[in-house]
Amino acid sequence: MRLWLPLSIIAVWAFLAIFHPILSLTPDAIDLTNILSPPSLEHWLGHDELGRPVADRLISGAHTSFFVSLCVVALGVGLGSLLGVSSAYLSGWVDVGFVRIVDVMLAFPGLLLAIALAGALGPGIGNVILALGIVGWVGYARLARGQVLALKHADHVLAAQAIGAPPWRIILRHLLPLIMAPLIVEASFGVAGAIIAEAGLSFLGLGVQPPAASWGSMIRDGTRYMLVAPHLVIFPGLTLMAVVLAANMLGDWLRDRLDVKEQTSRRPS
Amino acid sequence: MTHFLVTRILSAVFALLGVICLVFLLIHLIPGDPVEVMLGESAQPIDKETLRHALGLDLPLHQQWWIYFKGLLHLDLGTSLFSGRAIVDLLIERIPATLYLSLISLIVAIGLALPLGLVAAVRQHTPLDYGAMGFALFGMSIPNFWMGPLLILVGALWLGWFPVSGREGWNSVVLPALTLGTAMAAILARMIRSSVLEVLGEDFMRTACAKGLSSTRAVLYHALPNALLPILTLLGLQLGGLLGGAVITETVFAWPGLGLLMIEAIQQRDYPVVQAAVLCISMTYIVVNLLTDLLYAWLDPRIQFTTGEG
Amino acid sequence: MRISFHAYRHLSDIRPAKRSPIGSVQKRLHGFQLNWHMWLMVFGLISIVGCTESLPDYTLRFGLANSPTNLDPRHATDATSARINRLLYSRLVDFGEGTVPIPALATWRELSPIHYQFTLQEPAPLFHNGARLSANDVKATYASILNPATASPHRGILQIITRIDTPTENTVDFFLKQPDSLFPGYLVIGILPANLIARGHPFQKHPIGSGPFQFLERPDDTRLVIERRADGQRVEFLRIPDPTVRTLKLLANEIHLLQNDLPPELVTYLSAHKGIALQQRQGANFAYLGFNQLDPVVGQELVRKAIAHAIDREHIIQFVLRGRARVAQTLFPPEHWVGHASLPGYTYDPEEAKRLLKKAGYDHAHRPTITYKTSTDPFRLRLATIIQYQLDQIGIDVSIQSHDWGTFYGDIKSGRFQMYSLAWVGVKSPDIFRYAFHSDAIPPVGANRGHFADVVADRLITQAERTLDRQEQQTLYRTLQARLLDTLPYVPLWFEDHYALASTSITGYQLSADGNYDGLSQVRWMGPPSVPPKHIARLDP
Repeated sequence: MRLWLPLSIIAVWAFLAIFHPILSLTPDAIDLTNILSPPSLEHWLGHDELGRPVADRLISGAHTSFFVSLCVVALGVGLGSLLGVSSAYLSGWVDVGFVRIVDVMLAFPGLLLAIALAGALGPGIGNVILALGIVGWVGYARLARGQVLALKHADHVLAAQAIGAPPWRIILRHLLPLIMAPLIVEASFGVAGAIIAEAGLSFLGLGVQPPAASWGSMIRDGTRYMLVAPHLVIFPGLTLMAVVLAANMLGDWLRDRLDVKEQTSRRPS
Repeated sequence: MTHFLVTRILSAVFALLGVICLVFLLIHLIPGDPVEVMLGESAQPIDKETLRHALGLDLPLHQQWWIYFKGLLHLDLGTSLFSGRAIVDLLIERIPATLYLSLISLIVAIGLALPLGLVAAVRQHTPLDYGAMGFALFGMSIPNFWMGPLLILVGALWLGWFPVSGREGWNSVVLPALTLGTAMAAILARMIRSSVLEVLGEDFMRTACAKGLSSTRAVLYHALPNALLPILTLLGLQLGGLLGGAVITETVFAWPGLGLLMIEAIQQRDYPVVQAAVLCISMTYIVVNLLTDLLYAWLDPRIQFTTGEG
Repeated sequence: MRISFHAYRHLSDIRPAKRSPIGSVQKRLHGFQLNWHMWLMVFGLISIVGCTESLPDYTLRFGLANSPTNLDPRHATDATSARINRLLYSRLVDFGEGTVPIPALATWRELSPIHYQFTLQEPAPLFHNGARLSANDVKATYASILNPATASPHRGILQIITRIDTPTENTVDFFLKQPDSLFPGYLVIGILPANLIARGHPFQKHPIGSGPFQFLERPDDTRLVIERRADGQRVEFLRIPDPTVRTLKLLANEIHLLQNDLPPELVTYLSAHKGIALQQRQGANFAYLGFNQLDPVVGQELVRKAIAHAIDREHIIQFVLRGRARVAQTLFPPEHWVGHASLPGYTYDPEEAKRLLKKAGYDHAHRPTITYKTSTDPFRLRLATIIQYQLDQIGIDVSIQSHDWGTFYGDIKSGRFQMYSLAWVGVKSPDIFRYAFHSDAIPPVGANRGHFADVVADRLITQAERTLDRQEQQTLYRTLQARLLDTLPYVPLWFEDHYALASTSITGYQLSADGNYDGLSQVRWMGPPSVPPKHIARLDP
């Protein structure tokens, strides 16, 4: 239950996000005669304020959130762990400088920095990924560095060094595999954070631009009509919450399973 | 102890300088010509040059940075492009609202998280624990911008207890503080639980129980104070999330704080104000973290032995 | 290597997870009873929240979508400022409910085609600072607008004035460059006190006029408090950009009145409530799409014509505006004396639109891209998204840029746009054609924001202005409107109806024909307040 429920939600989300082009959806098709029509048998989530099918837009929004969170987390884990591991392994001035940079990045409240960056870069989904990526890598870097510091004097690393293995080989073969577990846990929480952050930026009007759909912009538009058409705010909100909840539950499960200590990390809320 | 103080304060100063640098560079992150973005495309060349000069963007980067930094030292953050007012005045107008909201949210968060976390820890692996942690998981997963409108619907419209938005009357803070506070309480409750669980496993707790102390007293007087230290640090860190989340919550509730100022400034392409708001919030965050660390060190004499380790 | 404690803490989560040896302690704590303190902590917070009665203060609150951008009538051009300035200042001439100018502060006589004499009606009103309005103030106000250093956007049309004389305390003589039968209709700008103009008083911050309301305070950009001089009734304008919040505040009686700028669904929703009364009137505010003529894409007449054929105005009005509008072909509605009821408009015809676009050199492989500016108002954004979709259907890519109202309007005023949508509000007199379409009226002199330049239109505007015969003038203006519809500096959209939604705790608010807020002069609380407002004593300067 703790595994299968979140896993199936994530699977449905990923499936819809990946295969939405072949589902022949019409998320942007405006039908003025169907404005704010409530859920019906034919269109079981109703239509929005422009007569667009809410179900289609939810799936289109799933694509947005999936694409953004995947990119952000991949960017963060990739860049962050590489920098963190290298810094800890190389130590010395490199490491001191790195810790300083990480400190500065951590001195910003994460979401605040992302909003400011997205505001400066201008609206658009590419800039959202960039802004969240810039903010997101730090957590993974800090985690990876801490892990390597604990491991770099482990016997097998010392042994590899003794036989003259090059640093990149030690990092890739002997260190990275061992620190994957906490990174995976952190990444699964990172997915939840990225989904909420993307929706938040889109809610503020800094993310996707009309007519594209995001759960965040759907919630924003939905709140305008919540008095007359509550389905517009309820469905995207529930969907968003379900996926975020699933990602968090999966993170919890992985953490217990992989025996990783809870991070005191910041998560954008 | 003095060594710790000095290094910690130095590191905060360094972080502060870094933050100022990044915030300064924010305006240069604007793709293309920042002046053109601020004025809108097809602006008159003369207007562009005037603004470029007014912002000092025609100078070499290091000079710009020095001017910006000197201005900061004199508490001069420039003027708003939109309203023409001194940015410092705008900030001073908005800071109290954000501080007030953060403080009340913090109280809500602690008030919710402490009992939840304690109950969950003490009754580990019971329905109470699962209930509390399930609640926390939900709290973590509900975005502020969905929770906010729902609270408005229920608290302001159906019940009619609170104003819909804005900062009017003492009770207008309740809904935004609940929105922010519950999100923070969710994370905090989980941390409190694990922190208390760890303390419950320590030797002195066994001793306390062995002495025949009532379990209530044991938890409240022995476990909690010891668990509070890590929680304190966590609170400082969580404040970052709080301040960041406040941007969205303030927007939802039209709460006239720094976050709303920043969003309005973004919509008005008033980047000097955006810079100032980010700087102001981040500086608060740094200072609060410094203070929590110092407080931690002051409360926990062991700290001085644990510094200096990689 | 030494790392500061700060870094150490962040990087310290490296301890391997401990399986907490809790089991044994757990057993001993089994009898642990939940302390009631804890529950108090939870519920204490929630319960302090209940009672919320605030003292009634009898201030009438009016919810606005946009705050007024300028309370100086010499500079104000946006509708909200103009409407509030009508309350704070009085003017020589007004239009009342009709379309021809009528005396307000003054009556006038046409002594010659280039000489108008205005006589202030007795008694002239007092300014809010206590001084009595005189001919001198009128002269100073108009002289100040005509001074290029003031950079007033209203200067353009008034440049026809060559001299202003004040033969007596209460007569003002205006001498004109050339005859203009519409001239009295130009003198609708609020009169400011001469001595304060001379001193460079910041009217936008602290307006002083002679209108029925006086300025009290403007603590920030979102609030403006004015007071009715007759009885001290206070009116507070609150900027509430979000229409849902405005709706909720009206329902919660936090505001008592709002007018226009709501999605039609919410108007219907609110009007169904018992405590809220709806007033509706046919409106004459002209909504349009404006274009930058210097732009390589929308500068082409063919593209604009394609756009005109691509927008399905009838369906938008029927389904989105819920019938609260009528299709417009030109700036003036048919009932206006220069209105042109028989003008054939652009019909919704996507095929024709595609054909025109092809003629302009665009096709599937080569789609034009247009940036469409609008405000962040959700309903405007919604209309923009519909237009975006309908233009997409004929092969035009549209990207929508929405900005805060002040920024958006600032962009439009200074010509920074490719395409935008806006409405002309409260237009009464055909001098608007010079202001908006003459090639001499490029900002900051006028409001030809799209740099429209057409010799035929210029000639027709001048000819119509010079004609003293009403009939002939009407014909010329109709020809001009046909020309504008043909060259399309604007794609006309519709005239939106006005509506006001008022709490039933107030009475006497009359919705005006052009959507101004003059009804506030008459509004009363339902039943007398049990305690008289405190500030009522220190009244009437």
